[in-house]
Amino acid sequence: MKTKLNGWLAMAASVALAALSSVAHAQEKKTVAYLAPSLDISYWQWVGFGVKQKAQELGMDYVEFTSENSPAKQMDNARTAVTKGVDAIVIGPVSSTSTPPLLAYLKSQNIPIAFAGIGPQPGQTDYTSSVTANNYETGKAQGSFVCALAKERGGNKVGMLSLPQDRENAQKYLKGAQEAFAADGCKLAQMLETRGLTVNEAVTQANDMLTAHPDIKAIYGMYDEAGTGAAKVLETRGLTGKIGIAVADGSPTTIGLLKAKAIQGIFFQEAVGQGIDGTQQVFNALTKAPVKKDLALVMPLVTADKIDSPEAKAVIARVFPPSK
Amino acid sequence: MTKTIIDQAGTGVETRPAIRTRESLLSTYRTELAIAGAIGLLVLAVGTQVPQALSWGNFANITQAGAPLIIMSLGVLLVVITGGIDLSVGSVFSLTGMVTAQAMAAGFGGVSAALVGLGVGLVFGSINGFLVTIAGLAPFVVTLITFAVAGSLAFIVTNGRSMPIGDPDFWLLNSGSMIPGMPNYILFCIVLLVAIELFLKKMVAGRWFYAVGSSAAAAHLLGIPVKRTQFFAYVASSLLASFSGLLTISYILNAESTAGSSLMLQAIAAVVIGGASLLGGTGTAVGAVLGALMITVIQNGVNLIGINSFWQGSVTGLAILIAVLIDRFSKSRRGAV
Repeated sequence: MKTKLNGWLAMAASVALAALSSVAHAQEKKTVAYLAPSLDISYWQWVGFGVKQKAQELGMDYVEFTSENSPAKQMDNARTAVTKGVDAIVIGPVSSTSTPPLLAYLKSQNIPIAFAGIGPQPGQTDYTSSVTANNYETGKAQGSFVCALAKERGGNKVGMLSLPQDRENAQKYLKGAQEAFAADGCKLAQMLETRGLTVNEAVTQANDMLTAHPDIKAIYGMYDEAGTGAAKVLETRGLTGKIGIAVADGSPTTIGLLKAKAIQGIFFQEAVGQGIDGTQQVFNALTKAPVKKDLALVMPLVTADKIDSPEAKAVIARVFPPSK
Repeated sequence: MTKTIIDQAGTGVETRPAIRTRESLLSTYRTELAIAGAIGLLVLAVGTQVPQALSWGNFANITQAGAPLIIMSLGVLLVVITGGIDLSVGSVFSLTGMVTAQAMAAGFGGVSAALVGLGVGLVFGSINGFLVTIAGLAPFVVTLITFAVAGSLAFIVTNGRSMPIGDPDFWLLNSGSMIPGMPNYILFCIVLLVAIELFLKKMVAGRWFYAVGSSAAAAHLLGIPVKRTQFFAYVASSLLASFSGLLTISYILNAESTAGSSLMLQAIAAVVIGGASLLGGTGTAVGAVLGALMITVIQNGVNLIGINSFWQGSVTGLAILIAVLIDRFSKSRRGAV
């Protein structure tokens, strides 16, 4: 009887030990959640790739949620993630203004959060880190580059295919570009804002812009599809190279166009890099390591003649996944 | 002298003076002429602000930008005339592009890849037609489902990535010239316009569409194959959406998962601007084409003048309102006469 009791006790002890060990293991292995505004845009997939890559490197588990461009869904996702027991969040928010209630909630749950791509609403401080592109400085640099392209082609008028100007990043791009145009002696003949972010829309807009302003000598594309659309229009009109194009963001498509000299420069936005850096910052917060609160990454310019250089390849590795 | 004529619904129940049969084109296409006039005024108004709006180059821009919408609208028109609605066309448009691009990436030639792309339209049109006619589900619900499914598949096919078109000759589908001096996209629009207008106005099977849209029950009693007509309308609508998707990727040589997302509402708007009723039983191919052209001209004008593009929706809404009012006014005057 005593032997039987000992057996039961031994079994119970081993079960308890196993349970404790599993709890300890679960406590050791942290989980990071990536909240994307939507995954139908490559950019946010690439940020997710960066988060996942860095999480694996740091020994963290990775889960992913998509907010379908809804602030309410974004909030629901944050709550679900916390309920699932995630330790940290990297978020590409639906918008800067959608984040204050989410930040208040995560603060109450003591969950570190890093922004990627789009930053928090100005004035907010309850976040761990914000990793964004320096849109103002990029706008300025791209504006100077576009102005130089126009002047090389014997004019000073430039056109712009813009992101919607209700976005903070678009406003910063524009402000920087306008300052550069003014400083360098160029004139912004027309700016058209996208609604759908599609190549087809950019083609229509570039066509209409060049019809209204045939003296435009360079085009400033504020997003990747704008560059693809503008290049298509110039090809159709037999103006490839005669009107310069510089584009922000970068993708395999625009890199192909850069190599074909259909566009002259890409200011790469490091989508993968933002995911990597955001994950590193929340990991630092979890491990009590120093955290950088605001990281405004420069968007490096790559021109056609340098696209195959090791530096350019290093930049591109932080833009989109290698297999893409 | 009076005689019984087949009215627009093809039911043969309306009796009117024989003079009706000699009705001039002017009277038959009164609404369409009003829209054409409005388009002309719109172009002139934009031309006063931006003279280049009146250039041939800009007219080429408008026709190129409008061709996919025109073709899609012709398909949607067929469904709307039968009293249905097709919300899936935008997603079918996108999915066709992605599947075609993927087929090319997998080694298919341009023609076979395009046929695979058209297969998307055939499959989704058949699903829509089957669920509406055989399963008896509401067209709104059915096409909302296929809108969601096709839209989702458009992302799944390439994991949301845009795809370049592999066949370097594929641009010929849109921008080549089977008739010297006329780009194919214009040729396709004209051929489809004439074919569908003649089909609807001159062929018995075409008049079944109006009969079904006016009253499916009455059409059934008259021996009209209601379900077959509805099924054909959905298949034609999806096929034309697929074809317009092919034209677009042929033009820009790039396929995107979201390419057609804004087109569905524009196509329905074009059909309504063109004088069709969402209750069914009315509408012409000429009207649908003009409606699509009006939307394109509005977008073009907004771009040329440099108005914030977010106003396009408001201006299009206003155009729909004006078109519906013109149509209502025109019909009430005809009724009064």
